[in-house]
Amino acid sequence: MNKILPFFFFLLFFTEEEPKPEQYIARLGQVSFFSYTSVENIEAKNNQVLSILDVSKNEIAISMLMRGFVFKKSLMHEHFNESYIESDIYPKATFKGSIVDFDATSKETQTRMIVGDLSIHGITKKAEIKTTIEYINGGYVLVGAFSVSIKSFDIRVPPILASNIAKNISIKFRFEYNRYEE
Amino acid sequence: MNKKVKAISIIVLVGVSLCIYLYLNFTDINTINITDAVSFENTKSELLLANFKEDEKKADKFYTGKVIEITGIVKEVSFLNNRNTLILQGEDKDSGVICDMNSNQIEATLKITEGQKVTIKGMYKGFLKDVVMLNCILITNN
Repeated sequence: MNKILPFFFFLLFFTEEEPKPEQYIARLGQVSFFSYTSVENIEAKNNQVLSILDVSKNEIAISMLMRGFVFKKSLMHEHFNESYIESDIYPKATFKGSIVDFDATSKETQTRMIVGDLSIHGITKKAEIKTTIEYINGGYVLVGAFSVSIKSFDIRVPPILASNIAKNISIKFRFEYNRYEE
Repeated sequence: MNKKVKAISIIVLVGVSLCIYLYLNFTDINTINITDAVSFENTKSELLLANFKEDEKKADKFYTGKVIEITGIVKEVSFLNNRNTLILQGEDKDSGVICDMNSNQIEATLKITEGQKVTIKGMYKGFLKDVVMLNCILITNN
């Protein structure tokens, strides 16, 4: 017994515990995209984008419904879902990556790069996205913008509409995270 | 006579084409009249989410493109990003039903408080961690 007891204490104090994930969630994240051409400008917003931020690992995951984008014109909505994005086959776009040099303990505004895999229309590409991170009311706010080329995600536009759709689409995002307790 | 018929035909053709163009380009699909739409199903938020927990793919296929009516307890009222959103409770803390309210529901949404039982009608859009419904209208609140 005398021999077992110190061993028990050794295990209790020196066994390395798996760090508990410290997660934050944004259920109502906003992602908007813009296509600017001389023929017409197209804009759509999705206000129900899900994102989880794990500040213990500096990891971020984003998932959004392609059918959740709201357009000003019904024809654009129809073309986007049926012809370009094919929402029935590829209903979600996702991003999984990490925030480089993010200091979760800092209360100052930080500008950082998010590096990871962006999946749209069934195609996954490496992406580097610049973001501004603010710590507000016990949560984090991530804001940023980037652009994607429609060709790299195999989004095909019929030649007759080629002048209506920009080759590079501008994307903006804003996520307000609150502490996530499962 | 022939000229008159021709002229009328052209006017009718141009008129119809114009109407189709205006409908397709200037009608917002998200303002389709949900009030008059027949609900595909009336259910409780807990039961709806239980379907997704059991088989997400099957449930998604079942509800895609459908207008559904859901009764549940309000977990959160949000005005984030200038939207009016109600989140209904699910069977656990992890998931719920996100209802993005129609722009004509601002006054009704302002009167809703957390913990209130409501019935919402809206267009099912998909499932992430929560069921996402757009263009929602308030049917009843107790």
